[in-house]
Amino acid sequence: MSASLAVPSNVLPSVRFRRRMALLVVCCASVAAFLIYLKVDPIEFFRDFHFVSDLIKQMMPPDLRLLWVKHGLWTSLLQTVAMAFFGTLIGSIIAVILALFAAGNTSPSWALRLGVRTLLAVERSTPNIVVLLVLLIAVGIGPFAATLSLCIGTVGMFGKLFADAIEQVDPLPGEALIAAGASRLQVIRYATLPQVAPSVVANVFYAFDVNLRLAVALGIFGGGGIGFELHLAQSVLRYKDMLACVILILVLINVMERIADALRRRLFLQEV
Amino acid sequence: MLEVKGLSKRLPTGKTILNDISFRVDKGEFVALLGASGAGKSMTMRAIAGLTSVTAGEVVFSGESGKCYTTITASGKTSGKDLRRARRNIGVIFQGSNLVKRLPVLDNVMIGRLGRIHPLRSWLYGFTDQEASEAMAALERVGMAGFASRRTGSLSGGEVQRVAIARAIFQRPLLYLADEPVSSLDPKNAEAIMQLMQPLAREHPILGAFHQPGMVMHYCTRVIALHKGSIIYNGAPNLSAKQLDEIYCGQADRPEATQELTAAAES
Repeated sequence: MSASLAVPSNVLPSVRFRRRMALLVVCCASVAAFLIYLKVDPIEFFRDFHFVSDLIKQMMPPDLRLLWVKHGLWTSLLQTVAMAFFGTLIGSIIAVILALFAAGNTSPSWALRLGVRTLLAVERSTPNIVVLLVLLIAVGIGPFAATLSLCIGTVGMFGKLFADAIEQVDPLPGEALIAAGASRLQVIRYATLPQVAPSVVANVFYAFDVNLRLAVALGIFGGGGIGFELHLAQSVLRYKDMLACVILILVLINVMERIADALRRRLFLQEV
Repeated sequence: MLEVKGLSKRLPTGKTILNDISFRVDKGEFVALLGASGAGKSMTMRAIAGLTSVTAGEVVFSGESGKCYTTITASGKTSGKDLRRARRNIGVIFQGSNLVKRLPVLDNVMIGRLGRIHPLRSWLYGFTDQEASEAMAALERVGMAGFASRRTGSLSGGEVQRVAIARAIFQRPLLYLADEPVSSLDPKNAEAIMQLMQPLAREHPILGAFHQPGMVMHYCTRVIALHKGSIIYNGAPNLSAKQLDEIYCGQADRPEATQELTAAAES
């Protein structure tokens, strides 16, 4: 033993190195096990890559004439935006109302609170596609089913988020209003909602962002809009049309993101 | 006029928070509650405003019309409606943190009167132009008229406290309760707030909790000192250094000290 102080074993560099190596080996082994179990052959990817490159070759050049020849494309695009917009708007309104029932400090009873929380959890855990497939049977193919599905998804996703934001509100301003004889509803209107407004607005913008992408995807499964055009082009093997649609979607999502960003910045600047 | 009779609060654990508190506050008085932290000043205020439950006691107050309001009845039961009606007439001046920081200053003043307007109107329409100009007058009185459209979160501590007072004025109460209104302020601002409150007390009595004996002696008309939930002094505001020592340093645990204080208050 040297005279120096013993380094505790859990921070000894050599011990830590051995521990890191063991972790690496475990990770690699589990990846290998999964590949074998799922019969994934990495070599296959390179052997069959020509299928992918062939497809890309068939897509080139994109048939951009479509944009002015086929006017229906623009209506489809607008339809997708409208689906995302109304899905977000109506969904957020319902989410805020349900959040008031789900938050401990605004809910009129614990039973109601538990019920709404459970409802939100169920909505949150159901994938949008599953909701859409059910709605397609109920209300038929088209953008209405997709809008409803987005609506339900938004409520599930943001209802809980809003409820948590409401629970974190500073209770003192509300108590001051109670002390001046205000009712619970008045406290919600004048103390609770103003405090959660920024978080709600920020999340609504985020919800629109998510819903726009989802609206495209839901379109493919019969929800209408630009997604459906994409699906049509693919099913009749018109890959050049398909690429045109994809480009249009990329441009749309980027433009919408810019608009949302600009709006958000204006909104929050005004608030200062 | 405010009358507090036999206010007691005990926790289920057996700890006594308030012990048989009784006092009166009459028209024109500016009464200060003094006492160390935890002596029961805030709890007394909260009980008067009906914001906390008590084990026993009664709180009655009335204005010039003679109509009486109670926040705590002797039977211990106050209906929600009666409580709201009583609270409407108590202007509570909290510490500034109780304003809604995201609303404009004017809105923060106007919401003091929510208890008097119909819930449906408060949701759908809001306040009237007439109410807004009355709120402006209240702001003018505390020297904050120029800040009406500013966001409350952007104000300084002293400014926020003025707005809190404007809200209480706008509420048109029969009685003001001020829970440590100057505790978070620098001496100059604290002085200014006390100067604002002094003339208010001539219109409607103020009961306030304070930690500044110097200021209290200068501005208040009476002092009620609490120690461990009991009143140990109720009298003139000119306290000697020894009396203050007894209020704050726990020597009031000695029964003879309490007797001395009581004797001083009576003389």
